Amino acid sequence: MAVPVSQAWTVATYVLKQKLKGRKRYPLVLMLEPLFRCNLACAGCGKIQYPAHILKSELTPEECFKAVEECGTPMVSIPGGEPLLHPQMPEIVAGLVARKKYVYMCTNALLLKEKLHLFKPSKYLSFSVHVDGEKEHHDFSVCREGGHDIAMEGIRAAVAAGFRVTTNTTLFDGADPNSVRRHFDQLMAAGVESMMVSPGYTYDKAPDQNHFLGKAKSRRLFRAILSNRKKSWEFNTHPLFAEFLMGKQNFECTPWGMPTFSIFGWQKPCYLLQDGYADSFQELMETTNWENYGAKSGNPQCANCMVHSGHEASAVDYNFGSLKGFIETAKRYMFPSTYPDAEAEKLLNEWKPAHAMPLVQIQGANGTTNDQLQPVSGD
Amino acid sequence: MATEQQEHLKIEQLRVHSADELETIAGREKENLEGWIPTLATDAEIREALEKAFDYRGDVTITRKDGSKVEGYLFDRRSGATLADSFVRIIPVADKTKVNVVYADIAAIAFTGRDTAAGKTFEAWVKKYWEKKAAGEKNIQIEPEKLD
Repeated sequence: MAVPVSQAWTVATYVLKQKLKGRKRYPLVLMLEPLFRCNLACAGCGKIQYPAHILKSELTPEECFKAVEECGTPMVSIPGGEPLLHPQMPEIVAGLVARKKYVYMCTNALLLKEKLHLFKPSKYLSFSVHVDGEKEHHDFSVCREGGHDIAMEGIRAAVAAGFRVTTNTTLFDGADPNSVRRHFDQLMAAGVESMMVSPGYTYDKAPDQNHFLGKAKSRRLFRAILSNRKKSWEFNTHPLFAEFLMGKQNFECTPWGMPTFSIFGWQKPCYLLQDGYADSFQELMETTNWENYGAKSGNPQCANCMVHSGHEASAVDYNFGSLKGFIETAKRYMFPSTYPDAEAEKLLNEWKPAHAMPLVQIQGANGTTNDQLQPVSGD
Repeated sequence: MATEQQEHLKIEQLRVHSADELETIAGREKENLEGWIPTLATDAEIREALEKAFDYRGDVTITRKDGSKVEGYLFDRRSGATLADSFVRIIPVADKTKVNVVYADIAAIAFTGRDTAAGKTFEAWVKKYWEKKAAGEKNIQIEPEKLD
């Protein structure tokens, strides 16, 4: 089991309660964004492009607790920005833990080691460290040389101090599945509890507008990565969501599954798209035109999205929505598969990047070191 | 959310291909709105300008018909049936209070702040990386903006 039994039980009973109440739309994880400023400036990020006075603003602990209580989810994810830049983050996390919320504090870990003493290990708290791949891949992805080493140091320090540590890997066009698999080995060896992996979203404010994965390539990439998987790998994604990424399941988006609250209010409709804000969670649920979102809606902004925030909630809902879904999921947990797939093995062995972008070239598929590599222009 | 005009690359791609078959999705065509002062002669022009202001990642300055001004980040808009029913929501530069301005009260809008989403492409980062690497530099990175 990739999460503590108490957490799995809490989530299962929460979802069942929603079902018994007949709630058609219920949230699963609150994405709490207490600030937008960050100590990285990643090219694939669409979250930090704001004027300085907005980047200096932050939610107070009281505003965070109010949002958590309004929303009522058993799990709270704290992305940003970089949450460790918020001076009251230890107070916010302690307040959520006291409310028995399972907290995933998302961090690039640049400050994790030095701030670790401000937090207390708890089954309710996990540091979800963003690591986008092996050293060169991560450093290129976050546009900072040396970022990977600092993040891994933070992970090891947190594990050693007795914290739950999970990871989050976002993949863009040009990702090398062989490298991602080595990356998983490294993370598990570092002692992380479990890993999450997802394709990047096409943020239209991201500086990089040319390396977002389409659905066909996403499925091929994730089939290569997640088939023939090692038994030592632990994932904290729903098994059916992982199958969705591999092209073995088909889920529509559940845009209300992971609602987002920030200094602007409740974001319509989801963590990824900004189409306005509501002042209360109830207003968000009642005034958002949900039928305008998701691939089925024809909205071009949703066309190639396969991100966990919209689709993992669909997997969970399917899990609890029918006996068939429940049995399917139970089987995945009781008899976890390594997804043997000869075609995927072949895909891995023959993998060549479709675009000769430096992110791939710098990695050195033929075993060369970073210093020996030369840039190769794109096609 | 970008307007249809701004999203046309992706829309064109989706007209020809199924999203399920796409290898790489088209990026967004960026408009250069910094410094823009739109004409607000018709209701349609007012609505379009405010939609673009909502999409813009810099501050704007709105002049009301009574001559008063508000400068800040326009983070939301609520579009009603008439201009009197519609309003924008702004966080002013020097104040954290959210301010509502009704469309019908707006005399002018100017995109006065720097577009924080402009520039800094991945290609520019890669080029800069290799130049610095060749020059023997270490710890190469894109620094986040200084806030003070």
